[in-house]
Amino acid sequence: MEFQDGFPDYETLAQHNDEAGVGVRKKLMNVFWLLLAITLVEVAIGWFWHDIKASSGLSQTWLIVSFIMFTLLKAGYIVMTFMHLGDENKMMRWMILGPYFLFAVYLIYMTTVTEGMYSGQKGHRDLLYPITKEAPAATPAHHE
Amino acid sequence: MSSHAVAKPQGWGGGTSPLGTSHGKLFMWFFLISDALTFTALLVALGFFRHKFAEEWPVSTQVFTHFPFTHAHLPLIYVGWMTFDLILSSVTMVLAVEAGHRNDHKKVLLWMALTILGGAIFVGSQVWEWWIFIEGSADGAMRWQLIDGQWVEQVFHGANLKYNEYSVTPHYANFFFCVTGFHGFHVFSGVVINIVAFTMAYLGVFKRRGHYEFIEKVGLYWHFVDLVWVFVFTFFYLL
Repeated sequence: MEFQDGFPDYETLAQHNDEAGVGVRKKLMNVFWLLLAITLVEVAIGWFWHDIKASSGLSQTWLIVSFIMFTLLKAGYIVMTFMHLGDENKMMRWMILGPYFLFAVYLIYMTTVTEGMYSGQKGHRDLLYPITKEAPAATPAHHE
Repeated sequence: MSSHAVAKPQGWGGGTSPLGTSHGKLFMWFFLISDALTFTALLVALGFFRHKFAEEWPVSTQVFTHFPFTHAHLPLIYVGWMTFDLILSSVTMVLAVEAGHRNDHKKVLLWMALTILGGAIFVGSQVWEWWIFIEGSADGAMRWQLIDGQWVEQVFHGANLKYNEYSVTPHYANFFFCVTGFHGFHVFSGVVINIVAFTMAYLGVFKRRGHYEFIEKVGLYWHFVDLVWVFVFTFFYLL
């Protein structure tokens, strides 16, 4: 292998001709319609949730899980197609996604499993933010 | 060693770039990772406070029910419209990038202009939503508040950082201002960067340079803004 002194011209690597552009645009528009459809489904589920819940008996967990799945699906399409990460090489993909997921998963772990379990107790809230909806049962003693 | 032990070209062996991408794009990605972690922290904190104040937390679909020029009760429709607008501007952005890959000067200008328009509409929509949220309803909400040791009955209208009519905890309004404000400022700066890119394209800077990579880098930032909104839409408005 001959040693190459200069790096390739990466700025122009992604360039393509007019014929190839037709296919690329078609793919992009398909992703757009998909994202739009998912958003409409999300809004529809949010709008009719009480009816769905009443008639099918599904729990709130189903709603949360399905919304998170829809969101991750949309995010995947945006990152892989619109941001062209799917077109980058494998090493580049892992370099971007790996560190992010490492920290994001650790952050979620901290708030749901470790730190989040013992931070603050319910009784402390009223002292910090003395506001209620109902008339309070007892008026705290105050100094004349 | 036998004769077949000729070294195959390896990514890390020198002479090639293992990531196969330009410096500008790579560093835009690095910036986006750090920014994504900031938003992740904000949204995880939102989830944490929601869980802690589960009883007091209002249902967002019952808070954001307004739509301009009508008094009808339309939950989610306005936020849905904002999502649609941002996805649409994302498409025009990616079409500008695609036109740049073909060195199609006119199409780049057209799609960039539409992207700026979409972004400006989004920022305007968010301003309207903040206005409605801060103004609140005419009736407001009745609250008992502890002032100098006495419980006093008061009516709260709209929202500020201390009180809001939607919930007894200030965290609801605080997270609304913090999360959507942080995102909104990203959209605003994205529009400014898009205007810079449009102007440079208009002046023919990229034509002379021979490639439209700048548009691609700006596009990465703009898509990131859309990406964050997808999560804000779910975790603040839908759930």
